[in-house]
Amino acid sequence: MKALSRIAYIVLGVTFAWAGVVKLSDPEAFLSSILTYQIFGSSVAVVAALVVPYLELCVGFSLATGALRGGGRWLAGGLTLVFLLLLFQGAIRGLNVDCGCFGSNAKSETTGYAWPIARDLLMLAGLAIGIVGERVANKREEQ
Amino acid sequence: MGKGGHYSGGLSMRSFKEAFCLVAIAVVCGGIAYFIHPRAPSFGIDKLERQLEEVQGMAEVFWVDARADEDFERAHLDGAISLNIEHWEEQLVDFLDRWPPDATTIVYCSSLACMRSHEIVERLREELGIEEVYVLKGGWESLLEAGIVEEGGS
Repeated sequence: MKALSRIAYIVLGVTFAWAGVVKLSDPEAFLSSILTYQIFGSSVAVVAALVVPYLELCVGFSLATGALRGGGRWLAGGLTLVFLLLLFQGAIRGLNVDCGCFGSNAKSETTGYAWPIARDLLMLAGLAIGIVGERVANKREEQ
Repeated sequence: MGKGGHYSGGLSMRSFKEAFCLVAIAVVCGGIAYFIHPRAPSFGIDKLERQLEEVQGMAEVFWVDARADEDFERAHLDGAISLNIEHWEEQLVDFLDRWPPDATTIVYCSSLACMRSHEIVERLREELGIEEVYVLKGGWESLLEAGIVEEGGS
């Protein structure tokens, strides 16, 4: 169980870290993505665009290496739940979450909710595997 | 509460402190990025924006389309000129030829979330010293919703 827990944490950590690294290169593009959800004011969106990529990187590093993992677990769960809530409200409101501002820039239709929601649910499942696996392994060690 | 690196059940004080540390590191890094990152977003972007209703009440408006060339060619607002970040140097010449100094310049891109128009407005303000230049809030989408343009043509 310990090995399974470690693998789950490493996979989850790398995923979080990669998500952060991708956004780090262009905070303005990430700001654009945040604004497509039409839920945050511009100042809050700017703060999120600057801080969230580093938070994802820190959480990813924490989960993968074990450093500060107690906090990393909660933040990973919290961030994923926030992402899911944003996606759900976007889907319910029929928002176009892909503005294409840095691509073809054409107005596209509301698509692509299924995969991000599935991905976030998989991440929550991975986190649960990590936590449960760790707990079971620790109990076995104590017995 | 676990021992050493063991799993610590609920949201213990230790987990809270660790989470706080991670958030603090992210906030500091984000703060540094705000000052040194070349593509860091700036605060107060909404001060550059004008609603369509406000624009419609303006005496004279000079429209600038900040979307990509192919989008401009597909459809654009009557009288608008193309000025985008990809072809800034070339298109600026045409802009300067046609820009009426007495008009308010309104820049639009694709949607509420599109930041290209903000970048164009900031460059026109900083590099050319134009003061009466704003972003159309909602961009092309707001023009479509108002029935001013159609998807296939203006």
